[in-house]
Amino acid sequence: MSREPAATPRGSDVGASARESGRPDGRARDARRAGGPGRPGSPVVRGSGSAPQGVHAARGIVAVGGTRPVAPEIAPPKRRPWALAIAILVVLGLLVASLAIGVYDIAGSDFGSEMFWITRVPRTLALVLAGAAMATSGLVMQMLTQNRFVDATTSGTTEWAALGLLLTALLLPDTGLFGKMVIASCFAFVGAMLFMLILRRIVIRTTLVVPLIGIMLGAIVSSFTTFLAAQFNLLQMLGTWFMGSFTAVVRGRYEVLWVVAVVTLLVFLMADRITVAGLGKDVATSVGVRYEAILIGGTALVAVAAGVTTVVVGFLPLLGLVVPNMVSMIRGDNVRSNLPWVCLGGIALVVACDLVGRTIIMPFEIPVSMVLGLVGAVVFITLLLRQRRAV
Amino acid sequence: MSNRLIRTASVAALTLSAALLLSACSSSAPEDSADASGASEAAGTIVITDNHGEVEVPVDPATVVALDNTSFDTLEEWGVELAAVPKGVMGSAWPGYTDNEDVADVGNHREPNLEVIVAEQPDLIIGGYRFGDYYDQIKEQNPQAAVIEIAPREGEDQFEELKRQTEILGQIFDREDDAAALNDGLDAAIAGAKEAYNGTDTVMAVNTSAGQIGYLAPVVGRGLGPVFPALGWQPALEVEGATDDHQGDDINVEAIADSNPDWIVALDRDAAFAPEDREAGSEPADELLTNSEALQNVTAVQQDRIVILDPNFYLTEGIQAYTELFGQLEEAFSAA
Repeated sequence: MSREPAATPRGSDVGASARESGRPDGRARDARRAGGPGRPGSPVVRGSGSAPQGVHAARGIVAVGGTRPVAPEIAPPKRRPWALAIAILVVLGLLVASLAIGVYDIAGSDFGSEMFWITRVPRTLALVLAGAAMATSGLVMQMLTQNRFVDATTSGTTEWAALGLLLTALLLPDTGLFGKMVIASCFAFVGAMLFMLILRRIVIRTTLVVPLIGIMLGAIVSSFTTFLAAQFNLLQMLGTWFMGSFTAVVRGRYEVLWVVAVVTLLVFLMADRITVAGLGKDVATSVGVRYEAILIGGTALVAVAAGVTTVVVGFLPLLGLVVPNMVSMIRGDNVRSNLPWVCLGGIALVVACDLVGRTIIMPFEIPVSMVLGLVGAVVFITLLLRQRRAV
Repeated sequence: MSNRLIRTASVAALTLSAALLLSACSSSAPEDSADASGASEAAGTIVITDNHGEVEVPVDPATVVALDNTSFDTLEEWGVELAAVPKGVMGSAWPGYTDNEDVADVGNHREPNLEVIVAEQPDLIIGGYRFGDYYDQIKEQNPQAAVIEIAPREGEDQFEELKRQTEILGQIFDREDDAAALNDGLDAAIAGAKEAYNGTDTVMAVNTSAGQIGYLAPVVGRGLGPVFPALGWQPALEVEGATDDHQGDDINVEAIADSNPDWIVALDRDAAFAPEDREAGSEPADELLTNSEALQNVTAVQQDRIVILDPNFYLTEGIQAYTELFGQLEEAFSAA
């Protein structure tokens, strides 16, 4: 029985290392961040000084002789509390801006303070909750599928949630918001599990196949959703519903989003197990983690986050893709130490995009999903290109 | 599911039977779709000018296909039998056509079944509006038919355009007096609504869909835009470059509250296809506006000066729909 490659040296031919390692399902850890000195890797890196050095100062562990397998990607980076503090300050600044910017004159009118609590605060809270949840669930998804390019939107999960929501509207029109969320989350779970199962069934020769499968799945599901909506004259509602936008978030319309705060908390609690699961089934099992349980639990968390956000604000494209990737480019792949950064990054990105959407054509608004889609697409393509160069 | 189906089915059955009872006089002789129809039955032809130019049209054509929503009200009023209609975009506004088995279904404008039209071998096709994209296709496939588009053109005065449309229909179906009556009715309604407006109150037009409020710009906004210049309304919020698509612009309740309109006129886009019990996610427009905490200080909400358009307005938009709308506005504004 062959050993799982504990670490694929960055920039090595992933497909090759996966094939050499002879894992039955042929899944490969995808290429790590580009830019390291590519060493056509033996699949098992023993600590023979082969660990790439001096590329990311943040990475603390360097192999020094011995026969210990090392995994530089998941070593916790050096603690730099001041960096985190600065990041928190930046995010707080963005939140203050979000509270301050709007059409209504908060400071200068009698009704201002009331309006502040009716629209500004709920909107800002919704941004924080949705941003953090989508970013962390993207991170979880990437670890579980061992692929850089997967998140709720590129695995078809949100499309499943949307289908669930539409079916609820058609078949059980009297369902309240909470019921809708439960059903949408269940659908999202089914979709995410289906995605995982398909990944296990096929031989993956390149990391790009994984998001492609997800996008294809999503396209099939969403075309079915569109077809249903067209049949029942709900197309216009579909457009309004799923256009990720915080325009309509007011007091009384976002409170269910607190559910995703719980999800984010649970991800924090499971962080180390998710990290280990991200090394593959063999490694996880050999260190005593129940791989299947983590897989199902993590998928459930992602499904709830996707389901709830889809019901309340709609699709937030690529958020779960961009933020975790940026963070691990800088800091490596330790879930637990990255989580606060991913949360902050998610919040910062979605708040910044919403502020742009809010101000660019004042008093009207551009849905945040459009701005996010632009930003996300640019980052996604950059990721792809960097990977291409590295291989 | 089953509940709704049963409800819809029973409603459909009721309307159908009612329609059958009402139309007992007009025995439903099967449409003979053969080529036998045509010139022999038509009382000659006239030349009309539609949106594309001059077209020779048979007077009182035997087999008619209509695809333009804005013309259905008039056609139904005049008892014109139609061979095929796009039932997919007609909601329940014209049960006389949609529930009639003899009227073929072209589907909706996104995926129309144009072969249905060919199969009917019509003498006249009233196209355009939502089906504008298929003009050339329809013309090509139906060489025997006169294909006309007479829906209001963009960039022209909406109400003059509606009157022109009615006039042309009057000429074709030999109903010129009725057409003139319709046009006079519209003019009278506009004059009445204008009379009722005090000239200073600010008005905002919005549309609502799936619990979201969109802004309909004066002049260009869908449905309600043309009403502003016609009645001389003062817009509560006037912005350069507002879009004229049917969605309206995304607008935050803050902006509505800030502009503090004296009147809010709302087009509920979900209403036409809504079931009896509206879904939680798609509050009806009046609920959406009056229950909004952010809008509680707005004059329009406080003084209950909210006008909600007829649920089917988004589907009809013809001369009758506007005449009714102006009547509704006159009533609301004179009561204030």
